[in-house]
Amino acid sequence: MRDLQLSLNQTQRVRLQAALQQLQDLASQAAGSSSVTVADTIPVNNEDGILKGHGTSELDGQVVATLCGVVERVNKLVYVRALRARYKPEVGDIIVGRVIEIAPKRWRLEINFSQDAVLMLSSMNLPDGIQRRRTAVDELNMRSIFEENDVVCAEVRGFQHDGSLHLQARSQKYGKLERGQLLTVPAYLVKRRKQHFHHLEKYHVSLIIGCNGFIWVGEHLETGENDMLEDREKRPETSKSNMICEEQELTFTPLEVRQHVCRIANAVRLLAALGFILTVESIMDTAEASASSNIEIKDMLGPEFYVQTVEREVQRRILLSRKRG
Amino acid sequence: MATNPATYSPSQSLERRQQQQRRKIFLQADWTRTDGRSFHQCRPAFLRTGAANAASGSAYAEFGGTKVIVSVFGPRESKKAMMYSDTGRLNCNVSYTTFSTPTRGQGSDHKEYSSMLHKALEGAIILETFPKTTVDVFALVLESGGSDLPVIISCASLALADAGIMMYDLVSSVSVSCFGNNLVIDPTAEEEACQDGSLMISCMPARYEVTQLTLTGEWSTAKINEAMELCLDACLKLADIMRSCLKEIAS
Repeated sequence: MRDLQLSLNQTQRVRLQAALQQLQDLASQAAGSSSVTVADTIPVNNEDGILKGHGTSELDGQVVATLCGVVERVNKLVYVRALRARYKPEVGDIIVGRVIEIAPKRWRLEINFSQDAVLMLSSMNLPDGIQRRRTAVDELNMRSIFEENDVVCAEVRGFQHDGSLHLQARSQKYGKLERGQLLTVPAYLVKRRKQHFHHLEKYHVSLIIGCNGFIWVGEHLETGENDMLEDREKRPETSKSNMICEEQELTFTPLEVRQHVCRIANAVRLLAALGFILTVESIMDTAEASASSNIEIKDMLGPEFYVQTVEREVQRRILLSRKRG
Repeated sequence: MATNPATYSPSQSLERRQQQQRRKIFLQADWTRTDGRSFHQCRPAFLRTGAANAASGSAYAEFGGTKVIVSVFGPRESKKAMMYSDTGRLNCNVSYTTFSTPTRGQGSDHKEYSSMLHKALEGAIILETFPKTTVDVFALVLESGGSDLPVIISCASLALADAGIMMYDLVSSVSVSCFGNNLVIDPTAEEEACQDGSLMISCMPARYEVTQLTLTGEWSTAKINEAMELCLDACLKLADIMRSCLKEIAS
């Protein structure tokens, strides 16, 4: 809760305090995990064969934390999960990034990792959709695919032996993102799930929750997903005709869709500021709650809805724990 | 400017005379500190993490009149111009605001403090854990009230911990000034201006290892020993405060 500076009035403050207290009580019931700070010793009860994982080191035969965070144990492995750390990619993660540089045969992307990610020209589909060797001409035309500062969606392909990160975009659902907003939230608020692409049909909005904490909210553009279903043989013609259509159609987003985009984006901002986990359900819940209680988009980040969101989260968690219990 | 001074400032000679007078007071065996502390008493410390939102980690420290904000960025990819290295890089920068000292408009980068901050932190960070990348530490002194560097170092290590950068231990730092036979811990700016010598220790308390020791001025061996004991003891106590500050946000 470090992002939002709000001026709450007296009743709102009392309500917020009460709600936060409840949340804390619920959390303490659920987990008995221990938190450590740098150089704290982690008790291992003299078990032998303990594996020291991330964020730990050994000093005089004791396991010592090198990070601030929560101690996690998996069988014999002891590691520290940092509270606020940068995104740590895993193979297959869907991420949203921003192009910062065009290098020979590759793009460099900023993805909130400690290093820049690399998207090779050879590991992405060409706009004409034909599978072939990339030629020098393709290399010269790289800027027509992605330019600097473009927002791109891709998948983590793997790590090179020197630790650099490679991406791939071998499907039409990946690629350049346009007509929308990019939001950056702490990476730990996004959990890995089966689905990171969401098409919210009701609003005509597409939502991409990148594992690296970059979230894209934008107008839903048809071309992407249809192509995936279509036969490979057919694709060249259809995508070409689609592109022409798109070009003819002015790049215009209807006002209504823009408002939906803003509302959902504000829901993301609010949840991130509160430090709640971001899922499509929680985001839509918040957006719909704001719409149903007639709160204007610009007021969503105001104190009243802020407190309401916390209270709703408390209710949700109480229900959840009741169901479990 | 020289012919027509825009601001009024007291003449140099007057200032010097006042300073000499003050020196005389400090040389007496028995004097009281301006803020009413005893010689071996530190200023109350106020520490908070999460002072700057845009940074990956940040901390604010206030020791009496010394107010410092430190933000840590990264680890992020090293610039291309730099050579390849297996270990990470630490990049430190200390700057003063224009309003940090009683004489206005003095604020700028402080090269000497920057390199000293780098030396003090280097030993505590596990640089092998982020090869090819750089961590930037930016310290901004909002108000300079004496013992600036020790406060910057302690605050920076707190910010690094907040940023989730792997460290062997927190670094806490304390300085001592020497006046004749007296040792004065955590000196204010006024006291620092008149000191005979100063000693600053940065250490990792849990390991009881010293990362930096700075000694200036006239010292005798016995005095150095005494001052070091005093500093290390204060470092341990300061580390407890830093630790409890980090614990507070964790729970």
